[in-house]
Amino acid sequence: MMLARVADSLYWLGRYVERAEHISRLAGVMLNATLDRTDAADQAARIALAAVGDGAAPESVDAIGSAQALVLDRDSASSVVVSLAHARENARQVRDQITTESWERLNMLYLRATGDAAGQAYAYDAPDFLQRIIADLHLFKGASDATMSHGDGWRFMLTGVYIERAQLIARLLKAGFGGGESSALDDHMAMVSLLRMACALEPYLRVYTADMNAQFLLEFLLFDEEFPRSIRFSAARIEEHLAHLSKGRELGRADPLRLAGRLNARLAYADVEEVEEGGAGALLAAVSAECVAIHGAIFETFVAYPLEMRLPA
Amino acid sequence: MPKAQSTPRDAPATNPDAVYLPGAAHDEMFAKGGFTRPHYQLLQRDIDALGAQALADRQRTLERSFLLQGITFTVYGAGSATERIIPTDLFPRIISASEWAKIEAGLVQRLKALNLFLADIYGEQRILTDGVIPRDLVLGCPAYRRQMQHLYVPHQAYANVCGSDLIRGEDGEFFVLEDNLRVPSGVSYMLANRDASRRTFPATFREARVRQVERYPDMLLSTLKSMTGDGRPNPQIVVLTPGVYNSAYYEHAYLARLMGVPLVEGRDLAVHDNRVYMRTTEGLRPVDVIYRRVDDDFIDPLSFRRDSSLGVAGLFNAYRSGTVVICNAPGTGVADDKAVYAYVPAIIRYYLSEDAILPNVKTFLCREPADLSHVLANLDSLVVKAVGASGGYGMLVGPHASAKERADFAEALKADPDNYVAQPTIQLSTAPCLADGKIEPRHVDLRPFILSGDKVVVTPGALTRVALKRGSLVVNSSQGGGSKDTWVLADDGVADQAGDGAP
Repeated sequence: MMLARVADSLYWLGRYVERAEHISRLAGVMLNATLDRTDAADQAARIALAAVGDGAAPESVDAIGSAQALVLDRDSASSVVVSLAHARENARQVRDQITTESWERLNMLYLRATGDAAGQAYAYDAPDFLQRIIADLHLFKGASDATMSHGDGWRFMLTGVYIERAQLIARLLKAGFGGGESSALDDHMAMVSLLRMACALEPYLRVYTADMNAQFLLEFLLFDEEFPRSIRFSAARIEEHLAHLSKGRELGRADPLRLAGRLNARLAYADVEEVEEGGAGALLAAVSAECVAIHGAIFETFVAYPLEMRLPA
Repeated sequence: MPKAQSTPRDAPATNPDAVYLPGAAHDEMFAKGGFTRPHYQLLQRDIDALGAQALADRQRTLERSFLLQGITFTVYGAGSATERIIPTDLFPRIISASEWAKIEAGLVQRLKALNLFLADIYGEQRILTDGVIPRDLVLGCPAYRRQMQHLYVPHQAYANVCGSDLIRGEDGEFFVLEDNLRVPSGVSYMLANRDASRRTFPATFREARVRQVERYPDMLLSTLKSMTGDGRPNPQIVVLTPGVYNSAYYEHAYLARLMGVPLVEGRDLAVHDNRVYMRTTEGLRPVDVIYRRVDDDFIDPLSFRRDSSLGVAGLFNAYRSGTVVICNAPGTGVADDKAVYAYVPAIIRYYLSEDAILPNVKTFLCREPADLSHVLANLDSLVVKAVGASGGYGMLVGPHASAKERADFAEALKADPDNYVAQPTIQLSTAPCLADGKIEPRHVDLRPFILSGDKVVVTPGALTRVALKRGSLVVNSSQGGGSKDTWVLADDGVADQAGDGAP
């Protein structure tokens, strides 16, 4: 049992933390790709930008400037610093609900990444700046895992993390394979970059070896049951956390657990051949739409329910 | 070799260029002639041993830890927001066991009398009928809440949390300068400062046998529990905050976290059939006790200010019907009003038949014609305060004011004498503080915290507020004040015998 507003804030805390980490990684890969003046590098930059915005990949990109905007732009809705500020603001709203260990990790990161010296630190060594943000976010997640009770609050936060992750990976794959034909992505180095954006390179290599193949890559990020950044894995966690949060409740028509179960089943029983032939576009669009529906249902069910329905007996 | 404590000295030895000049005020650490007071000798030894560099390092560590914990307020500048910590000083202010015993007894006596006063004012009003205090002064007080008339308050504990401001005058005696019975804050800084000073001076802390303040959160919790009156099992207690933008938000979250109760905002609560509920993920849950950190005016738009969005509509009616307890009770402000303050010694005598253990500061009520003319004639030596204001606003410190400021204040006084009181300018005692790497005297006050529910408890510690500007007498945090930890010693004998200068 917890306050509805607190559950909402913890959920958003999870989403913003995940977003900050993902965007940091996209920016890092973009910057790294600019070192090679190749088509693959351009392709990587375009995929990253398309994965952030909703529009199509722009024709020519200023990768260095775009990466900096992704990280430091205070006016952008989804830049790293804005996501961190939102995450920290949500954490402050529920300061009594998260442990000091988790709070201090996030607060320290926030102060460093948004402070006066941040621009200078980025200019001095951008890859290091980004790496430290990602490492600190891992520390935050680790501290939360190790010190918070794994009860409702923690589950709301992780539901936020995995919904955000499923959507971000779906968007990344759409940017890479969205054209309908999986052959859109054919360059070895571009595929390596895409895997890096999903933090998936090493786990992918362990399964498929260094044989880069767009089809394998798509399968891995969509369907792998063990890799924590695959959409399948995220959907399974969403269902798992919602099942705990929904204990003792009747499942309504728009129940988030029912929707999460449907998403999970869709991925579990998806026809790989179909994806191979027709491209992943339809499946990815369905995943995104269902994440949006689950998000809305969580809000309706746990946070913004009508008062008269929920008076104690 | 002369012993350390028998050597008159100008300054702690950390910086030979800095001369520590206590001035006319009573200094907490040094007696006249530069002798270190006995209860400060252990700290003196530590300061000498550490040296300037180590002290500066520790001050930095302390500030960093405050920043990390989020003990900050936000300064909004052009397009960006900067986090600032509440200024804090690393040297503890130390109070001997014997002095504390008197302070403690005085505070308990005072709060008991003030609670009886509130019960009377909101009950039969005997004290007004007996003419001890003018009727219009009490009933005309802006903090008087007629809605509270004839309401049952368990244990007659109206002010469950009280933070009184004490000062030490030039002769070394403690006075009560002000009582805070509404929503006093600062207790989280007391606890955070303590946490820091244990790390800054561990050896001294151990040896000095400092009394614990860490029990405050659970004592607050039992005080709140005792307020259910009917002793219902497992009452649901919540802390009500105005929200994250309030300057004391850190404290609200801190207390909720350490008591293990939900921190709610007005929008989390709803009233149905005179029962208060909170919105949880599993539906509405009844609430029994609300430790509210929202001012009276804002707790319920139906009963008080109608434009308030911080409170809960219908909360006061639920309180009236006895289904929920609000702590502190609404209307307690009538007992800490700056004009009522002048009558507190009489209030203590009236209800307890005792003399006040802790004296008041001499106060002139400008509503009295004789007092007013005295005040107008002596503006250059008095501190004049607006009755309704707090936080160091609406205040004239005569000796530090310009002729123009005094003239303006004189006009305001004549226009609305009821709204002003005046007190002699007291040189608050000074304590050593680290300022730009040097140890300098700064004026300090003392805010202890007193809890009252089924019993009255004084936490053996306090927030010592510091005027950061040299010579300034204003310690309020809204006026650039800082704070430091306050050590109450368990036993004066330990300090007397310790140190390398034991006889």
